[in-house]
Amino acid sequence: MAKYYDIDDIITDEEIVAVIFQKAASGVGIDPSSETDCVEVGSKVELPFWLAHELQQRQAVSMNIPTSFNQNTRLEIQADSACVDLRSRCPFFYEFGCKIAPLVGARNIGPLLLSAFKSRYKEVLTKAHTAAFTAASKNLTILTKEETNLYEAAQSSMAAFKKWRMGGPRFQKASILGRKRKSTE
Amino acid sequence: MYGRKACQLVKELASGEKGQLTPYNSDLFDQVIAECSQHHLELQSLIRKMQEEGLDVQTTRNADHYGALIHHLSLVRNKRCLMAYMYNRAEIIRSLIWKVGPVLPQQIQEKLSHTEEEYFKKHSGALQSYMSRLDLDLTVDMVPPKDPYIQVRVLDDIGVVLSDDKTTNFARHSMHFLKRTDAEQFISRGLMEELTS
Repeated sequence: MAKYYDIDDIITDEEIVAVIFQKAASGVGIDPSSETDCVEVGSKVELPFWLAHELQQRQAVSMNIPTSFNQNTRLEIQADSACVDLRSRCPFFYEFGCKIAPLVGARNIGPLLLSAFKSRYKEVLTKAHTAAFTAASKNLTILTKEETNLYEAAQSSMAAFKKWRMGGPRFQKASILGRKRKSTE
Repeated sequence: MYGRKACQLVKELASGEKGQLTPYNSDLFDQVIAECSQHHLELQSLIRKMQEEGLDVQTTRNADHYGALIHHLSLVRNKRCLMAYMYNRAEIIRSLIWKVGPVLPQQIQEKLSHTEEEYFKKHSGALQSYMSRLDLDLTVDMVPPKDPYIQVRVLDDIGVVLSDDKTTNFARHSMHFLKRTDAEQFISRGLMEELTS
């Protein structure tokens, strides 16, 4: 499991999925709508993905398609994918989609992710390479985490290229100390 | 419960900028450990209940079994979040020695826990002893410079510093012409800046 310590993987696994319990479970207070601490068969609960995934493997629950991948999103992406606010739906849209696709049994999530990524990728790279300053444009707030990583990688490669051409100071303040300097007391 | 607090801990680590440390959140860390004990207790009580009913714990799949399973999974998830938190912080601390040098600046020191400071000191000590055996300073710049001397402007009050054969007074805003190796450690700590004409 190469991603055990990976922080992004852990946060992706925390995404909420709606499940239906096929078997009862007692002694757990995970269902907020039930009065006792038992979960009945057939009750609909919102669980984080890591729990839903394991329970599905043991056939205790069945997963539904999450709302981030439903028909509305599909239509919006087909219309104009570059403007769809994917981050508010799911900050790890692509990763989560890749994980969900084999479990939910919906055959069209894969092509949806691919088409969305293809059209947005071009936008992300052109903006990153041509932005004259590093101030965040309004475009950045609708990008998912993976796209933001791409954007930053492109920006840093542009900055490195410019530095190589123009020459800049060789030594820089260590990045861990942050950009803002604390005022001396 | 059920991994939410542990995920909060991990998200806090991710919320800092890339490569930056957030202050060590010992409260949340202890709370997650307390949750682990709670999950363990509930797990044990459910297993005991199954044993009292005379069911075979290994193969029965009743409601208690699934409840115990959920507690077990939450425990494993909490463990993963705690381990990832420590592991990623340790990685950043190890890289600190190469970037900032063997002495921690104050603003970073207040973000570390006590054990992390110990870890830094021991790691830095190990590196120093290795370098002294090789008789080579590995933390300097890898690229050979064009000019051994460099012009710097002092940003912070460093005071009088002994270097090789002379003592220089590094007052704020003064400019000096120094050897590159001497200036490097001050620049990486943000106390001086290089002047490129």
